[in-house]
Amino acid sequence: MIIVDDVYKRYQCDQGLGKWVLHGVTFTIPPQVNVGLMGRNGAGKSTLLRLIGGIDTPNRGRIERRCRVSWPMGFAGGLQGSLTGRQNVKFVCRIHGHERDLPDRLRYIEDFAELGCAFDEPVKTYSSGMKSRLQFGLSLAFDFDVYISDEVTSSGDAAFNKKASEAFKQLAHRAGLIMVSHGEDTLKEFCTAGIWLHEGKAHWFDRIDDALKAYKESFSS
Amino acid sequence: MSLMRSSISITWAVWKALFLREAVARLFAGRAAWVWILAEPIVHLLFLLVLFGLYLKQVVSGIDGGLFIMTGLLGFFMVQNTALRCKDAIDANAALFAYRQVLAVDTVLVRATVEAVLLLLCALVLLAGLGLLGYKVVPQNFLLVMLSFAALWLAGIGLGLVLSVGSELIPEVGKVAGILFRPLYFLSGVMYPASAISPAYRDWFLLNPLLHGIETLRAGFFPQYHVISGVSLAYLVGFAMVTVFLGLALHVRFAPRLIAQ
Repeated sequence: MIIVDDVYKRYQCDQGLGKWVLHGVTFTIPPQVNVGLMGRNGAGKSTLLRLIGGIDTPNRGRIERRCRVSWPMGFAGGLQGSLTGRQNVKFVCRIHGHERDLPDRLRYIEDFAELGCAFDEPVKTYSSGMKSRLQFGLSLAFDFDVYISDEVTSSGDAAFNKKASEAFKQLAHRAGLIMVSHGEDTLKEFCTAGIWLHEGKAHWFDRIDDALKAYKESFSS
Repeated sequence: MSLMRSSISITWAVWKALFLREAVARLFAGRAAWVWILAEPIVHLLFLLVLFGLYLKQVVSGIDGGLFIMTGLLGFFMVQNTALRCKDAIDANAALFAYRQVLAVDTVLVRATVEAVLLLLCALVLLAGLGLLGYKVVPQNFLLVMLSFAALWLAGIGLGLVLSVGSELIPEVGKVAGILFRPLYFLSGVMYPASAISPAYRDWFLLNPLLHGIETLRAGFFPQYHVISGVSLAYLVGFAMVTVFLGLALHVRFAPRLIAQ
């Protein structure tokens, strides 16, 4: 369960404080519910995901995570360029408390990402496709209760995309999901509930179809 | 619902992982990076020896000029390397803040530990090498040497904690700090004993906490070293404690802004 209670967020800009990105956002995500997040560009979707993921803090309000929440998947960050893929994987395993079964996780990620000998090369030499393979494999290797995903399902080559979407479907079955996507079909496929972000407010819909409808009506009128 | 870890076990796991990450990056980053970690103080030492070695032999009677400068250098590097490496810790690890387990203060503290371990290893290698050449390298008061190193290290952490926040919020702070360490090098008694300072200026020189640590370090090393009155390890420890607490307070206060990218 994730409780977001009256959250406000704005950023420091070059000329003083920016405008409120999130302005009093309140909702509760029950356990095992997959939620799709929608809104225009700049509506605060990624900001909200970062706040839920705990890598940024709200200016006001409170976010409570009563379960294990993943880091936001699909972000460019999280990999250290000067270290190899293997060293990065080891680091992430260690901070998540998997020192003991590290070899298992390592093997799983190595198999999933299919990077071959590039796995032992520095991450800064990777192409963006290779990076997203590694990142996706990483996030699958841990048993989170809720996964946060910022448009991860569309990178890599055709073969990997197929494998990734299979894995993603399995994941959506066994754990909760909070995802951002501009693809209507993707949202419908994975999510049951929806949140529409509009002008700093969040509108919760128990059914994803209603959320999509409200979202579409907002720019047709 | 899966088991939640306690805050302490998370922090401990993060510190271990960061330590390995930092050590690998530092030792194996480029071609034979570890050679340079060792070579830098040695070359520095040799350079100073050529410049001052003969002269110093006369100034501090009974103490070898090389060992004298080496103790000063190691003491000074303990503060400078720790402080300046810690200053950049947050920037260098920015990518890792994507995991909420990693805090800005973790990267600073772990980096300080890595620096201390590397410098102590470096000191051991240097002393062992000089010992093989026939120098008398075993300190007469080992405990005082380690205490002085620890106090200097703590001062380095304190400065590093403050500078890491400072340079993140105001980039100029980092540049000014780099400039200020240059005169500090000459004011801390790396190349001369405190007793060589004219009594008229001693009180001013003794305001510098690093001078105290380097003096007690030498007192622990050489049995015949004369320490002037007014030198106290407690002054350095006090300085270190104040800066450490100030630095930690700054980290607590600005934690969200340090992690935000």
